[in-house]
Amino acid sequence: MDRMIYIGMSGAKEAMLAQSVNANNLANISTAGFRADLAQFRSQPLFGPGLPSRAFGMAESPGVDFSPGGFEATGRSLDIAVEGEGWIAVQARDGKEAYTRAGNMRVGPDGVMVTGSGYPVMTDGGALSIPPAESMSVGADGLVTIRPLGQSAAALAQVGRIKLVKPDFRSFVKGDDGLFRAKSGEPLPADGNLRLQSGVIEHSNVNVVDAMVNMITASRNYELHVKSMKAAEENDQASDTILRIS
Amino acid sequence: MDRALWISRTGLEAQQTKMAVISNNLANVSTTGFKKGRAVFEDLIYQNVRQAGGQTSENTYLPSGLMLGSGARTVATEKLHTQGNTIQTENAYDLAIMGRGFFQILMPDGGIAYSRDGGFKVDAQGALVTSSGHPLQPAIQTPPNALSVTVGDDGVVTATVPGSVGAVQLGNIQLADFVNPSGLQPVGQNLFKQTVASGPPLPGVPSADGLGNLLQGSLESSNVNVAAELVDMIETQRAYEMNSKCVQAVDGMLRFITNNL
Repeated sequence: MDRMIYIGMSGAKEAMLAQSVNANNLANISTAGFRADLAQFRSQPLFGPGLPSRAFGMAESPGVDFSPGGFEATGRSLDIAVEGEGWIAVQARDGKEAYTRAGNMRVGPDGVMVTGSGYPVMTDGGALSIPPAESMSVGADGLVTIRPLGQSAAALAQVGRIKLVKPDFRSFVKGDDGLFRAKSGEPLPADGNLRLQSGVIEHSNVNVVDAMVNMITASRNYELHVKSMKAAEENDQASDTILRIS
Repeated sequence: MDRALWISRTGLEAQQTKMAVISNNLANVSTTGFKKGRAVFEDLIYQNVRQAGGQTSENTYLPSGLMLGSGARTVATEKLHTQGNTIQTENAYDLAIMGRGFFQILMPDGGIAYSRDGGFKVDAQGALVTSSGHPLQPAIQTPPNALSVTVGDDGVVTATVPGSVGAVQLGNIQLADFVNPSGLQPVGQNLFKQTVASGPPLPGVPSADGLGNLLQGSLESSNVNVAAELVDMIETQRAYEMNSKCVQAVDGMLRFITNNL
């Protein structure tokens, strides 16, 4: 067989991987605070006998689309959306700090404020614990204020400030749990200038039109590679016919 | 088969669940004291197909790897305990809670369930019961010859009876509050049950300690906003279509290779 068929084969395989990245974006259209993954191809030239004319395609996800998702007003005081480029600090399963844009908070059974996926929300000094309260509000700077049980509206108590950070997107990566971390693995410092809105939830930033176009591109790309495999097969058959002694 | 198919399937399932939650909200648009639900999604685990920073040669590294997500899943369907509208009914046994708190309802098994539905009736023995016949706790007994029954803001129930000048006190309605009402488990019949997540019930007198007032002659309607639900429904339907298109595209790719090679 000619080596050409392997180039076609790897191209088709990588086009399918790109389609998977796109399928994952589409599956997460309704996931609050989700950030779309980007897929791209890179040529990997192969050096071997003969001229270096062969280049394999390689799919990779070079990063994440950091543009903001749409905001929806829900009126629920524990739905929070961060304005601009701020991220909410949460505690990942490994106990370390990670960051998310998903602001659908709730209070867990142990009184700790958690995200919709159950990650505890962080303050500057550990997880944010909410004592039994009659009402709770989140201020624009992330300060959580409660009215303790049986107290009048004059006895408001501050229980902590949600840690908001402003990451450098060049070194900010998505982990395999969907949370984001700095490339160095170190926690980022809190930024006091960030603002959030209470009663608003941020949706996924997947652009469906983009995703549909990417889907068509990946499909056609795949078909082209299959065509080149077919062409390689036909070439082989042709040489077969020439050599055949009739 | 290819993983893109399974990933799209998780998206289809998530949208299907969302549609079920929306249908339930819409079906309960006229249910007294109903609290609307909301489906919460999260992205599934990511697979590291090619690690970023892996070495491509002795001195060169992959600048970015390939991370493949594996779809979405529903983590929770939570109830949104916002106040519903108040509807005036002028019926003496219709009570609406203006603010926090739940009525305590005695269940046949002896346990207590909690409800925002204040459409009470009087049973054959004169006790205040829900539409399903479960008695209110603490029990309120109305005299058979009562001319009128009055419920105060703070839950004091009084009745006027023939031959008596003053009103007769029948008892006090108590409300129970929860630290995290979203953690209550909805069990149907407009009732909620206590869970570990909701915390223990905190009973109290209406209009004191942050509990809501009682409003006689009114009912709290469902807090479902029809316009919002319909917009959600359109969004869900389109998202479902996109995901099924993706299944179709992958199917097309696989069919193309089987037909052409």
